Amino acid sequence: MYPWIARVRHSTPGVGLISPPPHHDIYSIEDLAQLIFDLKNANPQARINVKLVSEVGVGTIAAGVAKGHADVILISGHDGGTGASPQTSIKHAGLPWELGVAETHQTLLLNGLRNRVVVETDGQLKTGRDVVIAALLGAEEFGFATAPLVSLGCIMMRVCHLDTCPVGVATQNPELRKNFTGDPQHVVNFMQFIAQDMRELMAELGFRTIDEMVGRTDRLEVSEAINHWKLQGIDLTPVLYRPNQDENVGHLLANGRKHPQDHGLEETLDQLMLLNYCQPALADGTPVRGEFLIGNEHRTVGTTLGSAITRRHGMFGLAEDTIRLKFNGSAGQSFGAFIPQGLTLELAGDANDYVGKGLSGGKLEIYPPEEATFAAEQNIIIGNVALYGATGGTAFIRGVAGERFGVRNSGATAVVEGVGDHGCEYMTGGRVVVLGRTGRNFAAGMSGGVAYVLDWDGRFHERCNREMVDLEPVSSAADIDELEAMIFAHAQATHSDLAWKILCMWDNVVRHFVKVMPRDYKLMLQAFNQVRHDSDLTGDALAMEAFKVSQQQLVKM
Amino acid sequence: MAKPTGFLEFKREAAGERPFKERIHDWEPIHLHLPEERLNQQAARCMDCGIPFCHKGTILNGMTSGCPINNLIPEWNDLVYRGLWREAYERLSRTNNFPEFTGLVCPAPCEAACTLGIHDPAVTIKQIEFAIIERAFDEGWVTPNTPSQRTGKTVAVIGSGPAGLAAADELNKAGHHVTVFERADRIGGLLMYGIPNMKLDKKLVQRRIDLLAEAGIQFVTNTEVGRDVTAAELQEQFDAIVLCTGATQPNDLPVPGRELNGIHFAMEFLHGNTKMVLDGAYETLPVFAGGKDVVVIGGGDTGTDCVATSLRHGCDSLVQFEIMEMPPMVRAANNPWPQWPRIYKMDYGQEEATAVFGEDPREYGIMTKRFIGDEQGNLQALETVNVRWLPAENGGRPKLEEIPGTTQTWAAQLVLLALGFRGPEQTLAQQFGVETGPRTNIEAEYGRYTTNVPGVFAAGDARRGQSLVVWAINEGRGVGTAVDAYLMAE
Repeated sequence: MYPWIARVRHSTPGVGLISPPPHHDIYSIEDLAQLIFDLKNANPQARINVKLVSEVGVGTIAAGVAKGHADVILISGHDGGTGASPQTSIKHAGLPWELGVAETHQTLLLNGLRNRVVVETDGQLKTGRDVVIAALLGAEEFGFATAPLVSLGCIMMRVCHLDTCPVGVATQNPELRKNFTGDPQHVVNFMQFIAQDMRELMAELGFRTIDEMVGRTDRLEVSEAINHWKLQGIDLTPVLYRPNQDENVGHLLANGRKHPQDHGLEETLDQLMLLNYCQPALADGTPVRGEFLIGNEHRTVGTTLGSAITRRHGMFGLAEDTIRLKFNGSAGQSFGAFIPQGLTLELAGDANDYVGKGLSGGKLEIYPPEEATFAAEQNIIIGNVALYGATGGTAFIRGVAGERFGVRNSGATAVVEGVGDHGCEYMTGGRVVVLGRTGRNFAAGMSGGVAYVLDWDGRFHERCNREMVDLEPVSSAADIDELEAMIFAHAQATHSDLAWKILCMWDNVVRHFVKVMPRDYKLMLQAFNQVRHDSDLTGDALAMEAFKVSQQQLVKM
Repeated sequence: MAKPTGFLEFKREAAGERPFKERIHDWEPIHLHLPEERLNQQAARCMDCGIPFCHKGTILNGMTSGCPINNLIPEWNDLVYRGLWREAYERLSRTNNFPEFTGLVCPAPCEAACTLGIHDPAVTIKQIEFAIIERAFDEGWVTPNTPSQRTGKTVAVIGSGPAGLAAADELNKAGHHVTVFERADRIGGLLMYGIPNMKLDKKLVQRRIDLLAEAGIQFVTNTEVGRDVTAAELQEQFDAIVLCTGATQPNDLPVPGRELNGIHFAMEFLHGNTKMVLDGAYETLPVFAGGKDVVVIGGGDTGTDCVATSLRHGCDSLVQFEIMEMPPMVRAANNPWPQWPRIYKMDYGQEEATAVFGEDPREYGIMTKRFIGDEQGNLQALETVNVRWLPAENGGRPKLEEIPGTTQTWAAQLVLLALGFRGPEQTLAQQFGVETGPRTNIEAEYGRYTTNVPGVFAAGDARRGQSLVVWAINEGRGVGTAVDAYLMAE
């Protein structure tokens, strides 16, 4: 990855990312509803768009997604796909968008959900006719990608992921980018043709607006001029079925959605209490301290507050610990999701799934209540998928975390006293310290960052997926200091017995730690050190030079 | 694709040709060949495009773009890069009966359509093709395609050019008894007598013909159907007949003085020359350019062959006329990739002439008005006028306009007419009773190849009009499939 892309994506230059990203935070429709809720909290003004593959049964899924409070549902047809898609996906995934849109529109209507959501479609829309048919089948928004790209010079090489696009469209290579001949005006021109094509067809059909057309399958008929043996036995009437014969289905949409999604944002702890309470900090950075009771009905706590901080104070938020809020009780899902720098959430109790999802610079300190009688390091204190996709910040967890801890972490620092299966999967940056046992498949697909694992039984290597990482002892002074400092901070933040014990016996314990080091990442770090040593480059120039050095080494290997 | 970054690392490199001054003294092939490791690099330049254009032969704006026989170019490029020559040969021979011919004489519309050609020089597809087939011959992988079983059906193929040979190969593979009739003394048609030896070594042609004969094809030379044997006799003896007689009627130049001595059609010149080279008999040479001022009229490939041959005879001076204006050095806006590029090119003949006489022998935008002779009726000179082309007003053909005051006289004792070909000779068509179209080509639909006479098929230039060797192979393969279906349906 080129340095400037790495910066945008909060990743490490020169280290590859696994694409497409597996959504390890969504394994059920409830997970999806929670994700929609999190995103809506993070940005209440945004429309949340859920993309579904056109396939048999997509209507049922769409109904679930509508109930999960998506604002837009995108039905994506089988013909599309980026140039980075595997051939198998391009050839064999999905069905035509026509089928998916028809099924989705019908199912949503039958379930009284159609007026809550916008239905969008894409997948090789190329002409005004495509758009008009999509509208008549039930879509009201339309996505274009391939055709406008072709108007910019794309020749569909299918190498978008290889940095070798010979016409300079999908590449970061400066030499190849010189070959780019596109112009925004080409896209404008193309879209004007589409619009004109649509106008002509709509005039013929007698429609004035898109909204009037939505779902008017009565204006479509099956072409009988096609004489092909594969057409025998094809019956398209289900595609053209209209559950609601009311001609005003379209108008019902045009006159404003009668039931826009109720996201329930007004009832969050943030809206009810936290935003008001933290007003001084939001206004001018005056420190705020507070203590609240929390229950598991309080989901996504701190997210809207965090979004308000970022909105007011920019990407780097406030000074560390400007806002420090303590909660007592059992937190609901997504505790501290996306919180930025300057916001510290302390929790005496336990938490559900998605703790610190997308953590963006904020701090989390979670520990059992003082009166707890159990051994913290032997009990689960937070649920699954903590720190999923975190880009920065710190988390100290006194206790064991569930599965998929730190998946896709690209910059956060975390200390935890044990994790379930698939810890640190697809991690690309940051630091994770595990002071206890891990589950299976630790570090699968991990391309960056470092994990330190306390390997008491000496069998961690059996639980670690070593496809992309090497296991090393913690031996360098820098590593030892870094690890000790992190454990010390953990001990201070959470009063962890385990951490204090480890620190007391530090010289004996440190040799039991294993350093999990991704191979590409190591190469890149070495390149950085080499360039820093050989030249006086800094910043972007340093990153670019190190990138070149590491790429050369990769070629040699 | 074995090396995604190959095209960024390696520049296009052609093997090049023998030095001009050396090669114009003999008739040996002009081509040199790259060593294997550098060929691997050239193959590595292939980008294995998501949407390849090289292997999809189409007609764009009246010109061929991409390979008419759909060679699996990205696949064998990859195999060559990885050193899997045998597999590469197997892929190549799936689509191309005669890679050694196209590998030398094809104008390579595949390279014109190569995606790399948008911004960089195209992949050297033709050179790699030739390397694969030569490697296969060297290793002994090329063996006769003898069918394991015979159908008992008989087919006569008339004409042994690339279309006839491809048809014969396909039909023989399918198990039919194939007899090829050729009126010349050697098999090969244009491959043998049309293209000079320096461009296509006749040893390579004979090597292939020997293989075909070994596979069971009967070759009958010195036999002109319609004269030595009648159409009716053939129809009686054979279950099917394929007409691959080529487009051999040359365009003439009916201007005053055409009847003078010293004005010859290009094919008469080239045929006679190759026969002389092969027989080693100088006294049989019908037209000799040595010591003469030569004018070649026509700027195509045949004209180029005339230029190169005249040079080897030792002509005194050499001019080549082209009626069109000089093309641009780079693609014009109305001639974008992947169309065949209408740009200024130097072919081998012009390069040699430049080396000998110091300048490109071509004169553009020039038209011959009359030939001037002496009292004995021998050609002495030509009179020409310069012309320009005016764009047609309503989308038709551009109009030719003479430029006043540009009349010139050129001394010449030999004029070679290389003005293209009208179509097939008509005698055979008449004897078989097959219909011909407005351009005198035999009427047979592309893909079906059936004429109005049952059991009589037509393919190649006889059907299509003058074209490329690679289209002839395409049609020969196609007619093979069509005849096989016809025979086996009975």
